[in-house]
Amino acid sequence: MTTDSAYSGDDPRQLLSSTRELAQRVRKEQRATWFPLLVFAMVTFAAIPVLRSTGRHLGPCAATGPGLKVCTVYPNAQFVYWPIALVLAYVAIAAFYIYRSRARGVETRVRPYAIAGIVIALVLTGLALWEVHVAPSSGVRNLMGLSGFGRGLASEVPIGLALLVLAWAERNRALLLLTIAYLAVVLFPITFRTPIPAWNLVPQLAAGGTVLLLGGIGFALAQRPLRSSTP
Amino acid sequence: MTGHPANGLDDTVHQRVRLGILTIAHEARRVEFSYLRSNLDLTAGNLSQHLGVLENAGLITLEKGYAGKRARTWVTLTKAGRAALAEEIANLKLLISRVEQLETPPG
Repeated sequence: MTTDSAYSGDDPRQLLSSTRELAQRVRKEQRATWFPLLVFAMVTFAAIPVLRSTGRHLGPCAATGPGLKVCTVYPNAQFVYWPIALVLAYVAIAAFYIYRSRARGVETRVRPYAIAGIVIALVLTGLALWEVHVAPSSGVRNLMGLSGFGRGLASEVPIGLALLVLAWAERNRALLLLTIAYLAVVLFPITFRTPIPAWNLVPQLAAGGTVLLLGGIGFALAQRPLRSSTP
Repeated sequence: MTGHPANGLDDTVHQRVRLGILTIAHEARRVEFSYLRSNLDLTAGNLSQHLGVLENAGLITLEKGYAGKRARTWVTLTKAGRAALAEEIANLKLLISRVEQLETPPG
């Protein structure tokens, strides 16, 4: 038994068009974009109390004028929280994708994505650590175009890069646009300062977390009919 | 490739159900028998026949196992299957462009 509606046509045009439609349908059914976005939003929001409560460390200073210098201050847990949280996030995402795709009968290639995410997180954490402890001058930072802590080199940037990898793996244009918006938000320095220095990291994290949360909710709603149509 | 692009079409792959199986398998790491059956709207017997043809041609591998107490058959596209699918798509595109050239009135 076959039906024409499922997959039809011996005419080359019809055959090619049916093949494309079938491939697109399978890709759409494999997508669970909402889950990584919500996990990363959770990780970002959870960073606020963790990083606030662990005290701060004085980082490198750069002279900005006669008798003036600007120093980087970063939370003590910066290099502990993010690598651990991101690795756990990727493990959770990979486990979810594997469970979900096995239940549906169509397995997703999630391993390259999870491995890429973990490698990006660890490499960028190492780079940010090097920047703080080894980089001899601010010239290195200028060369890289990033200041590790003000611009989330060890935190939000790995999330953004991993989402770019996911957008490529899922061939998901909407996720690509959301990731670009997210990277624009987290790479754009928020200069707002609270009277309490320990709260200064909150606006940046809250902005990034909110983009991820809203994106996750949006994708969950958009992908809901597909999720409910199959187990 | 020489001659008409239709000559390059491999009957094993060109058959529309088998092309559908290869297309779905190409999008996934592995795909389960029941997923193929429901997406291609086939009976179990019909699907088994097509899978047998593709397996004999070395285009897919079949892996039998259990999920709990339920028997499952997983289909994986081989390297040869990936190449055959790419070739089929290229030939179809070539065929379509030939037909379009013939359909275009000489200007």
